[in-house]
Amino acid sequence: MDRNQITKWLKSPAKMAHKYSLHAVYFCTGCGIIEIPPVITTRWDAERFGVLPVATPRQGNLFMITGYVSLKTLKAIIRTYEQMPDPKYTVGFGSCPINGGMYWDSYNTIKHLDRYIPVDGWIAGCMPRPEAVFVGVTHLWTLIDKGKADGYLRYKRYYAAYRRNQEMLFGELQWPPLYPTEAEAEEARP
Amino acid sequence: MVTRIIQLLLSPLIALAVGVLFLGLSRKIIARIHRRYGPPLYQPVIDVIRMMSQRSISHGSLFELGVVLALAGSLVTVLFIPLGGTVICRQNPLAHGVLCPLSSSGGLLVVMYLMLFGPLGLALGAGDSANPNASIGVSRKLLLALAYEVPFLLVILAVMSHYRTISITEIVARQQESGWGVLSVPLSAVAAFLILPAMLGIRPFDLVSAPQEIASGPLAEYGGSYLALLAVQKGVHLFVVIALYVDLFLGGGVNLATFLVKMLVVFVAAEMIAAVLPRIRIESAVRFCWKWPTALALLQMAITVLSKSV
Repeated sequence: MDRNQITKWLKSPAKMAHKYSLHAVYFCTGCGIIEIPPVITTRWDAERFGVLPVATPRQGNLFMITGYVSLKTLKAIIRTYEQMPDPKYTVGFGSCPINGGMYWDSYNTIKHLDRYIPVDGWIAGCMPRPEAVFVGVTHLWTLIDKGKADGYLRYKRYYAAYRRNQEMLFGELQWPPLYPTEAEAEEARP
Repeated sequence: MVTRIIQLLLSPLIALAVGVLFLGLSRKIIARIHRRYGPPLYQPVIDVIRMMSQRSISHGSLFELGVVLALAGSLVTVLFIPLGGTVICRQNPLAHGVLCPLSSSGGLLVVMYLMLFGPLGLALGAGDSANPNASIGVSRKLLLALAYEVPFLLVILAVMSHYRTISITEIVARQQESGWGVLSVPLSAVAAFLILPAMLGIRPFDLVSAPQEIASGPLAEYGGSYLALLAVQKGVHLFVVIALYVDLFLGGGVNLATFLVKMLVVFVAAEMIAAVLPRIRIESAVRFCWKWPTALALLQMAITVLSKSV
């Protein structure tokens, strides 16, 4: 540990712990997942930065979407994202979640992931090299430090808009809203 | 009285600190064997702080109480295990340096019962989450407990009948006088070392919390501060099992420092074996535990009983 980090640890231990213990839920969509095994195993060893894959969304705080997102996987992505405990960070990996990439004219993949769930950062490329994951992680550290990785707060504040976008795609959603929508909040108000 | 209160507070704290340190050490050892650099030694502490600061999602009151039961059971077990020190006066082991607050009561029998609290609490809590992965994990955990309890009980019976006592302090004192248990009951020591990974839940017996098969098993629905407490419980449980091994077979410790060094040796040996082995299935685990360790423990017990009766 750097000596100049000790004051930071004393000032905000939760924030620093979130920086150095990013337990990742790798959502294995598309071809991006093939870059993840070298990242977490011997060659690049992400564990030295505290990045570790976990098996369930309940235990993680970093959500990586590695590749194109078809309509069917988007449902699973939304449900996984909503199951993760706050604070949580989302990173889109590869060019497909950013703007559709090579699937720009596909009828069955979504083009902009950040219309449906909040995304804190992107790792661009097709494919990004494993080094790019580390660059992404260090950028995420800076964002967490400055308090700009606030995707989970944005999701809460603009939940009605996100939910509307999701419903435009799927029609009626099969799960109840995570946060009370405006109509329910109106009813609850005395 | 005052020393007793200090000991009651001190030994769980030592178990917490050393247990969490061992968790970090295990990740570092495995990383170095994989030719990686590995996380820093204090990485579990960072993880626990991070989990504590996350929002915790509960699935019912038993879900929360199971965690408390598991952690409390492990912490109470520490109080019955001597953590180094020499016995000067047999009649009153509390009068001097043995760091074991509840040495005068219970002994091995109580430790045997209390060590079941961890799996039981986790099973109760995970059962309340109604996750199918957690159910599979719980059934594997209880089956594995059944598998290692048989050789473990035989090992403890052999040790108890060799030293003719159930008091762990007494056993440690006898070993410091007349040679370690690993020399006087060698086959039991080997059997206990063979089931050590099953008791610790490390490879090749980490089938209970296998992340790739059953989404980390009983922990599947745990997150936030519950998961932090369970990580701490894992560390304390690790401390309890290895401390018991050192006390029964490696002659305890003259003081706390030598005790911890012996624990470190046992732990590093177990981890080095764990780092190079793959995970085995539950039926293979039960078959293994009921074959070699049980046979060795039975043989040692027969030898002990026959040599004592002659």
